[in-house]
Amino acid sequence: MSLTRREFVFLGAAGGAAAAAGVILPVGLSWDRDEDGEVTALVLQYPEVVVGSYLELEIGTPSTFEYPAPGQPNVLARLGMPAEHGIGPEEDLVAFSSLCTHMGCPVTEFQSDEGVLGPCPCHFTSFDLAHDGQPAIGQATQRLPRVLLRLDGDEIVATGLRRHVYGYADNLQGVGVELLQSS
Amino acid sequence: MTTPTTTVPIPPVGAVEHTTCCEYCPVACGYRVYTWPLGTSGGMTAAENALGRDLPLGPLAGGWISENMHTVVEVGGERQNCVVLPDPDADVVNVAGSHSVRGGALAQKLFRVDGPTADRLLTPQLRVNGNLVPIPWDTALDLVARLSLTTIERYGELAWGMKCYSYEFLENTYAATKLALASIGTPNYSPHHAPAEGDDVPGLSDAGIDAFSAAFVDDRAAEVLFIAGSDPYETKSVRFTDWQVAGGAKIVYVDPRRTFTADYAERGGGLHLQLRPGTDTCLYNALVLLILENGWEDREFVESLATRAELDAESKWRRVEYGRTRDELLGYLRSDADFTPEGAEKVSGVPASKIRQAAELLSGGAGPQPLTSVLFEKGVYWTHNYENTAAIANLGIVLGASGREGRATSRMGGHQRGGQKAASYPLDKSPHSVDGHPVEMDTERWLVEGNTRFRWVVGTNWISAMAGTGNLRRRVHELTHMGPQVTSTDPATALAQLTARMDAGGMVLVHQEIYANESTAFADIVLPAATWGEEDFTRANAERRLRLYQGFMDAPGESRPDWQIFAEVGQRMGFDGFDWADSNAVFEESAKRSSGSRKDYSALVELAQAQGRRAHDFLGDLGTTGLQAPLRIEGGELIETVRLHEDLRFKSGSGKANFVMPDWSRVRDRNEVLSPRTDKGEVWVLNGRVNALWNNLSDFSRRPLAAERWPMNPLEVNPADALDWGLEAGDLVSVECDDVLDQIGGTGPGGFTAVVYPTDIVPRGVTYTYFLFPGSAANNVTPADTSLQPLSLRYPFKLGRGRLRRLGVSGAVAGMSFASRNRAPGGVTDHDHATDHDQ
Ligand code: SF4
Ligand code: FES
Repeated sequence: MSLTRREFVFLGAAGGAAAAAGVILPVGLSWDRDEDGEVTALVLQYPEVVVGSYLELEIGTPSTFEYPAPGQPNVLARLGMPAEHGIGPEEDLVAFSSLCTHMGCPVTEFQSDEGVLGPCPCHFTSFDLAHDGQPAIGQATQRLPRVLLRLDGDEIVATGLRRHVYGYADNLQGVGVELLQSS
Repeated sequence: MTTPTTTVPIPPVGAVEHTTCCEYCPVACGYRVYTWPLGTSGGMTAAENALGRDLPLGPLAGGWISENMHTVVEVGGERQNCVVLPDPDADVVNVAGSHSVRGGALAQKLFRVDGPTADRLLTPQLRVNGNLVPIPWDTALDLVARLSLTTIERYGELAWGMKCYSYEFLENTYAATKLALASIGTPNYSPHHAPAEGDDVPGLSDAGIDAFSAAFVDDRAAEVLFIAGSDPYETKSVRFTDWQVAGGAKIVYVDPRRTFTADYAERGGGLHLQLRPGTDTCLYNALVLLILENGWEDREFVESLATRAELDAESKWRRVEYGRTRDELLGYLRSDADFTPEGAEKVSGVPASKIRQAAELLSGGAGPQPLTSVLFEKGVYWTHNYENTAAIANLGIVLGASGREGRATSRMGGHQRGGQKAASYPLDKSPHSVDGHPVEMDTERWLVEGNTRFRWVVGTNWISAMAGTGNLRRRVHELTHMGPQVTSTDPATALAQLTARMDAGGMVLVHQEIYANESTAFADIVLPAATWGEEDFTRANAERRLRLYQGFMDAPGESRPDWQIFAEVGQRMGFDGFDWADSNAVFEESAKRSSGSRKDYSALVELAQAQGRRAHDFLGDLGTTGLQAPLRIEGGELIETVRLHEDLRFKSGSGKANFVMPDWSRVRDRNEVLSPRTDKGEVWVLNGRVNALWNNLSDFSRRPLAAERWPMNPLEVNPADALDWGLEAGDLVSVECDDVLDQIGGTGPGGFTAVVYPTDIVPRGVTYTYFLFPGSAANNVTPADTSLQPLSLRYPFKLGRGRLRRLGVSGAVAGMSFASRNRAPGGVTDHDHATDHDQ
């Protein structure tokens, strides 16, 4: 879904009263609350989407998926080594946006011996997926956005993103952006 | 549980806009700065934001604001959003908003009361009973002025010294030198990176070639690039990616380390000449000899060189003595078997076959001559300064690499070009000489000998930035603790006590800085400076492009721009001509002194004044494009200069270029003194930059992105060596040397600690570390004796040596990546695990 700035403000204003009355929000929205639990704003929330099968994912051979909107590329990988924020029995399952956080080229080369995504074909940034997408070398000014994952049995479920995806000012909004529906 | 979205504020329509350039490397990418009130943000459509772009953006669009491009600053006393964005509309340098990790996160540099930069120096301070305490500006400036006058009166101007950045904006360096060189007239003045004023690349200068003759368009036009002593991907990133790589040239890369650029060069059909440290002169001599013997040189260019009679008529003694004609050079090169490919292989470790291939690639061999440029930086000239710069100049000359598109011989630059002297250096007053000719004062030797009573350090972590840091630190400690310490903030008492210290043979230290660093620990008086973004300044980049760096935010606390501090002290000392109204007035005055130089901007000021405009405004209107100097006026128009020597006239009396004596025997002798001693278990401790850091880390240790990547100083160790020495990734090691050469020809112990980063970037027997990591300076093991290189008084900073001692596992590096940093696109190959030789 796409939310224009005007709709956002409108819903925010109307929502305050709705929240007080205990109204259930439309899918894709949540309340932002301050420390005291007071509702301060209406914010978009990430969809929850099945993005792969744990048993089918081979160590060192990443798969790709689109999230949270069609056309937004991500990699899903079992690194074969414990990773920062890795999940699964071996704590080696991670997923990251594969749009380079330098200037947005899709990064496809994967160095399976080190769990490194890169070098990016454009200006050669390499991202260490075992170290939370930290640029090992290169020109990106932030780590790769990490996809938050959950394992439901064999199903790998994406539940959100940490950090800011290339090209976006808000990971869930933009001109022509239609979010995936939660599965 | 739901996960809320992630957002970064967007500058709204109407946000205030400024232009500037990157603060860091010599490329000087253009930036656009937006400031606007907190609590507001632009929208996603082009009509709703100041970028005029629909979001999200596509790849390479330029204009994306990453998390590290936004911060909060104060403007006119009010907290505001601030975005520092690589200029998406840039039409030069970083076309369409390209940038590196350093400049891309410039926003994180800015003073933020609730951020990691909150510890900026905010008030002048005086050391009282051992502690720095705040004092008013008036008191601080008075003290500095009075102490200066007393020093000069009692001990003469040679006892008054200034150590000053050479690059931090034309206005500031002009004001500093107006005080030190023009008004006081001391020869006790030296730049942040060397013990003495003078030429960094004397061999190149003696050949008549300007050190910054190239333009970035030449890198793109070149068919072959010879790149030595600098890894451009890590240190001049946008020049590499957007000009050198973009042009598709084959790269001949010379470096003891197999860096990213080395891997890139070889995968692209070029060569990596992985020489042993300190053997450049021999390798370049071998290349020049091969080219001359085969007749592969640019004959027309070589025939145009100065004759012996013309060389003898030169006014510069070094050119008379070391200038060479073709026949003289050839005679010398033929006289030493080390310059045959096989001889050079023995010396440098570079296979003879590769030397032959390189000579052929660079010159075209028997085929047509390619457009070749010869580019280099500190690995060449901060080792064997004179001989290496002479040898590489000779290589440029045989290739005809000068003054034509795609053909240049040039430095790539270490930092930007912001030096403009207000007077010539008073060489006649220097106490130092070589072969009966005066040379600039070695200010560090002079200080260590106890001759400097007052030293004013401006914008540098001076002690750690000079070779032989350990001895310098010990000596500064002694000199600043000789005689009385200040016991009161009462100005008269402080003045009397500091004067008594000078009388007792001690030294008073003033440190003018933006953050406290290791050198501040010895300062008696601290002066807080305002910097980038806090004042309008001008500077040129490595292709002589001048831009206005606009101020867009409040300077923190009571800090003041450096030029203003010099002006205040100058006035209090009773000198005329320090009453500038603003930084533009300094800039306009300085223009006269730039006349005839490579960044001559006198025409710009002349034209602006003729139009009744401020020169800063004139330049500011040209945004991130600026003007490429030297500038001249023709028919009322400003004319820029793309590249130097286009008329094939050189910087010599005859206007001709010449070869220069590349004396390998001197280098051989010096290498004997400097090489690691196997009986002591020593290895080379080379040093330089890494991609994500800059200089003394004043900005970068306060930038989470950089501090997480490099929480400690790394020491690259070859994996096979690491195995032999029982070292693993993340181990803390002490790098030690018992007898580091000091400033006065003695020796003393030195060392630093670092964290082991096993990598095949370095061959066996060679280690590499960041050069100026806070608290861990490589200079603790680099030699500081300039009598080793008396012609140019440069330190061989790059040639450290030491032995490694494991201290244990470092706890500081959890979360730090130890992944390979030298893999170019194309997958892992055998190259990734092979080096040409072991040391
Ligand atoms: S390449 Fe150099 S000038 Fe450009 S952004 Fe990076 S550090 Fe700044
Ligand atoms: S877009 Fe990936 S490094 Fe520039």
